[in-house]
Amino acid sequence: MADPYLRVEGLVKRFGPFTALGGVDLEVFPGEVHCLLGDNGAGKSTLIKTLAGVHEPTDGKIYIEGKPVEFRSPRDASDAGIGTVYQDLAINQLLSVTRNFFMGRELKGPLGTLRMDEMNMIAHDEMLKIGIDFSDPTQAVGTMSGGQRQTLAIARAIYFGAKVLILDEPTSALGQKQQMGVLKTIKKVRARGDIAIIFITHNEIHSRLVGDRFTFLALGQTIGAGTNAEIGDEEMRRLMSGGAEMGDLEQELAAI
Amino acid sequence: MANTNEAGRLKQETAIEKIIRRPEIGSFVVMLVIIVALAIASEGKSFNALGLKNNVAIIAQYGIIATGAAVLMIAGEFDLSIGSMIGFAGMAMSMMLKWGLPFGMGEATPVTAFAVTLAMTLALGWLIGTVVVRSGLSSFIVTLAFLFLLRGVTEVSFRLINKSTQISGLPDYKEESWFANLLGGDVFGWFYDLWFMLGGNLNRRGEQWVEGFDARFLWWLVIAGIAYFVLSRTQIGNWIYATGDNKEAARANGVPVNRVKIGLFMFTAFCATMFAACQVFDTNTSDAAKGNLMELFAIAIAVVGGTLMTGGFGSVIGVVFGAITVGLVANAVFFIPAIDGAWFRVFLGGILLAAVFANERIRKRITGGI
Repeated sequence: MADPYLRVEGLVKRFGPFTALGGVDLEVFPGEVHCLLGDNGAGKSTLIKTLAGVHEPTDGKIYIEGKPVEFRSPRDASDAGIGTVYQDLAINQLLSVTRNFFMGRELKGPLGTLRMDEMNMIAHDEMLKIGIDFSDPTQAVGTMSGGQRQTLAIARAIYFGAKVLILDEPTSALGQKQQMGVLKTIKKVRARGDIAIIFITHNEIHSRLVGDRFTFLALGQTIGAGTNAEIGDEEMRRLMSGGAEMGDLEQELAAI
Repeated sequence: MANTNEAGRLKQETAIEKIIRRPEIGSFVVMLVIIVALAIASEGKSFNALGLKNNVAIIAQYGIIATGAAVLMIAGEFDLSIGSMIGFAGMAMSMMLKWGLPFGMGEATPVTAFAVTLAMTLALGWLIGTVVVRSGLSSFIVTLAFLFLLRGVTEVSFRLINKSTQISGLPDYKEESWFANLLGGDVFGWFYDLWFMLGGNLNRRGEQWVEGFDARFLWWLVIAGIAYFVLSRTQIGNWIYATGDNKEAARANGVPVNRVKIGLFMFTAFCATMFAACQVFDTNTSDAAKGNLMELFAIAIAVVGGTLMTGGFGSVIGVVFGAITVGLVANAVFFIPAIDGAWFRVFLGGILLAAVFANERIRKRITGGI
C-alpha cells in the first residue's frame, strides 16, 4: 500500500482549560475517501481547522508525505496542498462564479488587469470535469443551487493544487437529489487517484456509499478506525453514537 | 444528469433583457427624466453655456465624494467623516498658504500646501480605517466620532492660528502656479471654443461667454474612471466586492480584508481632499463650515446610483448617473426661480427611498430571493 499523504499523530488542541482534541491519530491516502464521523462536539471541526491552519495544535505532529509540517496560517496549509471546503463554502453570493473561483488568486495580465476570458474558461472547464456544466460562469453564485456551490468550492480547491481535500459536512443542508450529486462529485475526485479526501459527515449511508476508511471521534478522542470492509453496520452505529451501546439507548428510550 | 438540468433552468437572456437588468438602469432613467424636465422648466437656461458650466461644477463636486463613498460602501463600510474631512483639508491648505508650512518649514507653495494636507488626510483615513478594522466596531459610529472630531479640530485650529473661522483674499495662485491652475482653473476650453465657433456661447456683446469647465470636472472624470477600472478589471476590485459581500469568505480565500478596508478609508479621505483643493484654488477662500452634510449627500448619491447599503454590489457608472441627477436638482432653483429651494431635499428624500427599495429588489434577484 502507498504511503499516506497526510498523517496526524497524537494531535492535541486545548482552548484554555477545555481539551477539544485529546490525542487524535489519522492517516489519509491518495485516491481514498476517509470519512471522519462523530457526534456534535466530538472535535471534528477542531480537527479540520487545525489541519487547515486555522488553529495551531497544542501538541502532536502533522506529517505531509512523511515530513513534519507546522501551519501558522491557512495560507501555509493551502500551500502544503490542504484544500478545505467549509460548510459555509467561503463563497460570495453576489459575485460571479469565475470571480469566486479565482478569489484571492486571480490571473493577472501585464498591467495588473484581470484575464477575465481565460478565467471564465478555466472555471467552466474545471467544474465540467467534476460534474456540472455551468453554461455561464459570469452568473452570480446566488443563482446556483447548494449542490452546485459545493462543486464550485471543490473544483476551486482542486484547481489550486489541493492534494488533501477536506469536505466539512458537504451533504448536510442539501436536498436528497443534491446530496447524491455531491457524492457523485466525491467519487469523481476519488477516481482521479491523486487526491486524498477527508469527508466529514453525520450520515452513515453517505459514508458507506463513498468511504474507503473511517475514523470515529467522540469527546476529542479517536474511538475507532478501520476500512469500509472491516467495520460492520452494528459496529458503525455503535461508534457513530459516540461508543454508547445502541441497545442501552434503546432500552433507555423504551423506559420513558 | 441532474446538475446539468439545474443549470439549464437559467434562462438565456437577449441583449435587451441584459441591458434592462443592469443595475444602473434605474438611475439612468431617473437622470434622463430630470435632464428633460429641467431643460423644459428652465426654458433651456440650465443647459446654456453658463448653465452647463455651473451644473457640471456641482455635479463634479458631488461625483468626486460619492465615488469614494460608493467604493467604500461596496466594501461594506460607511464614512460619515467625508464632510468634516473636506472642511479639515480646506482649512489646512488655506492656512498653510496664508501662514506658512507647519514647524517653521517656511512659505508654502500650492504644491507643498496640497502635499502636506494630503499626507495628513491620508494619515487620518488610515487611522479611521485602522480603528474600524481593529476594534470591529461599526464604521458608522467610528466615523461619526470623526465627523465631530475633525469639524471641531478645524474650527479650533482656525480660531487659534487665524483668529477667524474664514480665510478670504488669498492671492490668486492660478495666475502663476500650474498646479493651482490644474485644481482650480478651467479645463476642456476646446469644448466652449468649439461651441463659440459654431455660433453659440455668446454673451450680450457677442463675445465668447464661457472659457471652460471648472477643473473639478476633469478630476471627477479621472477619479470615477480609475474607480471604474479598478472595480471591474483588477484584482483589487475583486477583493473590494468580496470584502463587502462576505468578509469571512474573502478572508478564507486569502483576501487581505483589513488592508482593503483601510485603503478605501484612505481613498474617501483622498476624494474629500480633492474636493477641498479644487474649492480652495478655485475661490481662494476657505471656511470652517465647508463640506457640511456632504458625507450624507455622498452616501445618498451612492445609493441612488445603485450601491447596496449592505455592501458587495454597486457600480461607478450608476454613481455617475446619481451625481448628475442630484447635482442638477440641487442647482435647479437657480434656473427656475419660481420654485422653493427646499424642494430639493424633498426630492432627494423621495428618490433615496425609491432607490433603496429598487436596490433591495436587485439584491434579491441576484441571490435568488434569499
